[in-house]
Amino acid sequence: MISVNNLSKTYGTKPVLSNVTVAFPSSRLTSLIGPNGAGKTTLLMMLARLLEPSSGSILLDGRETSSIKLSNYAKRVATLRQSPDFNLRLTVEELVAFGRFPYSRGMLTADDQHAINEAISFLTLDSLRGAYLDEISGGQRQMAFLAMTIAQQTEYLLLDEPLNNLDIKHAVQIMRALRRLCDEQGRTVILVVHDINFAANYSDHIVAMKDGTVHCIGAVPEIVSEQKLQQLYDLAFKVIHDKQGYLCNYFTTSGEQE
Amino acid sequence: MRLIPRYILWAGVIVLALTFLLLNSGLDFTYVIPKRLGRLAAMVIGGVCIAWSSIMFQTITGNRILTPAIMGYEAVYLLLQSLLVMAMGAQSLVILGANGNFSLSVLLMLAYSWAIHRWLFRNGRQNVYFLLLMGLVLTMVISTFTQFAQFSVSPGEFSVLLSFSQPSFGRAKPEQLIISCILVATVWLSIRKNLPMLDVLSLGRDQAISLGVNYQRSVQRYLALIAVLVAVSTSLLGPTAFMGIFVANTTYALTRSFRHRITLPMGCAIAISIFIVAQLAVEHIFNYRTTVGILVNLVCGAWFLMLMVRTRAGA
Repeated sequence: MISVNNLSKTYGTKPVLSNVTVAFPSSRLTSLIGPNGAGKTTLLMMLARLLEPSSGSILLDGRETSSIKLSNYAKRVATLRQSPDFNLRLTVEELVAFGRFPYSRGMLTADDQHAINEAISFLTLDSLRGAYLDEISGGQRQMAFLAMTIAQQTEYLLLDEPLNNLDIKHAVQIMRALRRLCDEQGRTVILVVHDINFAANYSDHIVAMKDGTVHCIGAVPEIVSEQKLQQLYDLAFKVIHDKQGYLCNYFTTSGEQE
Repeated sequence: MRLIPRYILWAGVIVLALTFLLLNSGLDFTYVIPKRLGRLAAMVIGGVCIAWSSIMFQTITGNRILTPAIMGYEAVYLLLQSLLVMAMGAQSLVILGANGNFSLSVLLMLAYSWAIHRWLFRNGRQNVYFLLLMGLVLTMVISTFTQFAQFSVSPGEFSVLLSFSQPSFGRAKPEQLIISCILVATVWLSIRKNLPMLDVLSLGRDQAISLGVNYQRSVQRYLALIAVLVAVSTSLLGPTAFMGIFVANTTYALTRSFRHRITLPMGCAIAISIFIVAQLAVEHIFNYRTTVGILVNLVCGAWFLMLMVRTRAGA
């Protein structure tokens, strides 16, 4: 289990995250939601150790993360930032192979090759193996990056807006894949997601953040209510819950607050 | 996919090297060929330094139009030469001796790089772009001091200075070559095992950290190694300015690979070939009426442009 205690981050004197205490349950999919500037990504980046907290602690199975060697941390926690950008000409398979670096330090073994193949077929990218990243669509590229993160074979996956700029089909594909990672492989997935409907239909837990603090936290049925979402986003919501799942409508509902 | 197999390129380098050694030498093993061997060794060491330092620097900065020159190493070297000439006149060469000058240059450049890394990376600052900006500003400041020193020397002394600001292979003495060899070998030993880590660094900071690379420490380490390589090549040959850009980008275009295991050796072959061809042309075609620096920039620039136009998105 990964948990944070009294975590704060300030830039200069401006607090972006203040006294956040959250526990992320294992083998569950947790979505971080909330308006822009709420500190979701900041929290995720500190879990990933890409940012240093100003104060507070992050515990991985009860152990302070800053005391874990980075090279060992990469075997337990994998991170994918939004739209990674670099000017390398890589094929999908070469990119996925990078996910094995924490284990093989660049010398791929048979085990590594097996993990790479598994990650590629998990996301049904087999036909794109040899394709260059700059020659495939944004959705396919995002899948390729996700495959690299999966190949890292960590208990924890941290994803920063993995659905950014994706069409609905790729977005559903990615969320289904994440769901399967939790259900079939028992991995813990924590992601920042903006589309409330994806969060409501695919997560187990939701952490709603606002103004650098945790606004509310709980299982999906507790959080996805008209009242809580209205408070969170300052928008009028209509939530329809049926057998198919949740549908949160905030587009045309009247009675907008403020 | 590789466009030119590696062994063909290396065979080409060897043919070029033999041509350089033997062309019009009259097989004079007592004077001409030993002299040429010295120049050849300088080219090989210099080529290795320039190729490795440029490729590694571009990997760390994630930018393909930079060379370590932007950090101000060559500016420091030129300032040192100007100050020496200003203080001691053209006699400085005699007083210090070539080896003294070489050692002083290497040490000063290493001290400079140590100081700016210490200063810029204190309290965990991690931004490579900030480092580049400071390097660029320092380069300009130091160059201004250099100009100031150059304006106050006599025309005769100035021509001595001018010869230091152009790369040349003839200056290198055997002792310097041996020291350079040792330094380059040390660098090679410390990067040899970690070439895949350089590949990971080229994915950028965030991806590198999430793959378990201690980004801050690795970047500092590679910058230090780059400083050693640049110090060696600059002290040995003089400033080569932007030849590194040509070498690195030609390497990427010819190898079509991101793996440093492939690009670093290929880069060496390319840099060494460029040097040999330029030196051959200076010695046998232009009869010393032009310099290697001018030729390198002219030929590399033209070739590079052609490459960009032909491969477009490829490079």
